[in-house]
Amino acid sequence: MPTSEPSGTPALELRALGKTYGRGARGKRAVDDVSLSVRHGEVYGFLGPNGAGKSTTIRMALGLIRPSDGEVRLFGQPVSDKHALRRVGSLVDGGTFYPFLSGRDNLRVLARTQGHDGARIEAVLERVDLARDARRKVKGYSTGMKQRLGVAAALLDDPDLVILDEPANGLDAAGIQDMRNLLRGLAADGKAVFLSSHLLHEVEQICDRVAIVHKGKLLREATVRDLLDHGQALRVEAEPLDAAETALQGKWPVQRVQDGLSVQAPRADAPAIVRQLVEAGTDVFRVGPDDQSLEEIFLTMTRDTDA
Amino acid sequence: MLDAVRAEALKLRRHRATWLMVWIYPIAFTLIIGGVLLYGLFAAHGPAGPPQPAAEWIQDSTMLWKVPTSAPGRFLIAGFAAVVFAGEYGWNTWKLIIPARTRWQLIAAKWAVTLGFLVIALVAADLITLLGGWLGSLQDGQLPAGVTLAAVAEAHWKAGTHALLPIIYTIAFAGLFAILTQSILATVILSIAMVVIEGMLPLIAIFFHGYAPALTSWLVKVLPLYHMANLNAWAKGGAAIPFGPNEILSLSWTTSFWALTAWIVAAGLGTQLRFLRQDLN
Repeated sequence: MPTSEPSGTPALELRALGKTYGRGARGKRAVDDVSLSVRHGEVYGFLGPNGAGKSTTIRMALGLIRPSDGEVRLFGQPVSDKHALRRVGSLVDGGTFYPFLSGRDNLRVLARTQGHDGARIEAVLERVDLARDARRKVKGYSTGMKQRLGVAAALLDDPDLVILDEPANGLDAAGIQDMRNLLRGLAADGKAVFLSSHLLHEVEQICDRVAIVHKGKLLREATVRDLLDHGQALRVEAEPLDAAETALQGKWPVQRVQDGLSVQAPRADAPAIVRQLVEAGTDVFRVGPDDQSLEEIFLTMTRDTDA
Repeated sequence: MLDAVRAEALKLRRHRATWLMVWIYPIAFTLIIGGVLLYGLFAAHGPAGPPQPAAEWIQDSTMLWKVPTSAPGRFLIAGFAAVVFAGEYGWNTWKLIIPARTRWQLIAAKWAVTLGFLVIALVAADLITLLGGWLGSLQDGQLPAGVTLAAVAEAHWKAGTHALLPIIYTIAFAGLFAILTQSILATVILSIAMVVIEGMLPLIAIFFHGYAPALTSWLVKVLPLYHMANLNAWAKGGAAIPFGPNEILSLSWTTSFWALTAWIVAAGLGTQLRFLRQDLN
């Protein structure tokens, strides 16, 4: 882990970051007031539906796009500081490479651009299982192979921060498993990993913390455990659902989720809830602990924002 | 910076565009001269003509340097520069290399490699032409009296340096067009238009002179097109370019040299400033 910056300095920090495309009334706010920080040794997930502003945020973090507001800091330095940016490995757009060069030559070009001789090229090719195909031209690569080459490129200069835009795209089940192990291994080595994804199940398994973005705004930032832990929540499945919701509203906070209702209430309230539902003439199929998945939480949050 | 240049060279040296638009010079001249020499070996020899004067022989041996300053030669240069600069947008590869290096260095490396490759190819083609001319003279008898190594070197140095400015000018503007349009095709079209307009400058100037003589006169003197045409005219021995019914502009070689240099610097600065502020989505 680098020691050049004060201890505790985040590897990546976004401060009130914003981006507007176009000007005046036609301007489109793609990212709005996003603040977060990624620490060394953690995998940070950036979740959001298509068009939420994930890729724009990542491009601003890499200096590809200039923010309209706010700032990006890498290891405590502004993103314009090339020394800080050179400690970042990145994968955007599923790996962008020169199609007329081989996989190995693409890494050679990148290594030279980074200012080193590429001593780690063979090691990173082995790490992403591309050593056998490294002599082939990239234009003949499958989506998954390009994605793996992109990860190899991101790791080429042994970065302290790895930024990956949808790293699991195009990978098969085994590739996703390898990616999961790779990212956890990087975090275990003290590196910071910042990844965007729409694969909520993957994020749930890999990430230590997540931020949920929607329509350019940061809806919530929390550890995965905090997000999943609804504390005293009960899941109710009853028919008709509208009548059940009406019956419980006013006594407990109620939220619609997939296949039922999430009721903020302790386990001891379960009999009272059942009585209330029966009195309202609804058929009760299940009342139990609410074990929401990240996907449900994500959908609920984004749906609330849409409303 | 040297690493950025090496990376650029590594990237481009085997690209098809480099073969078609840069390495084509030594390859084509080798084939043409080799063919002529082979023909000379097997063709029946007639009676020997009068010996060619040394000055003419030396001048003929520098013919290669007329190619990059001609319209087709500049189309090739602009095409190659378009691939070098605008190719990164088409391949979507700026995203790969921008985090690794400052933007101004990436652009500077592209200028260096585009010019460097062209100079290497043209010098190689020039040497091949010279060698072919020497072998051809030996086939016909001997070298004209008065052809010395010093005289040949001086003539080639002069021809090469005179060709350099138009080459740099073409690269500078093609680079600017590439960064502005982000398209290889658009860059090539704009570069070709520039060369064509340059060739038609007297006609265009005469046409507009009837409507706005003062403005036309000022524009002709200020814009780079006249100065490029003027340098080409000086290289051919005459320097007067008509731009009105009774008006002929005849600026000196040095005036056009400095005017064009200023335009090249402006195009370079424009390229750098635009690229520094460009969002790469």
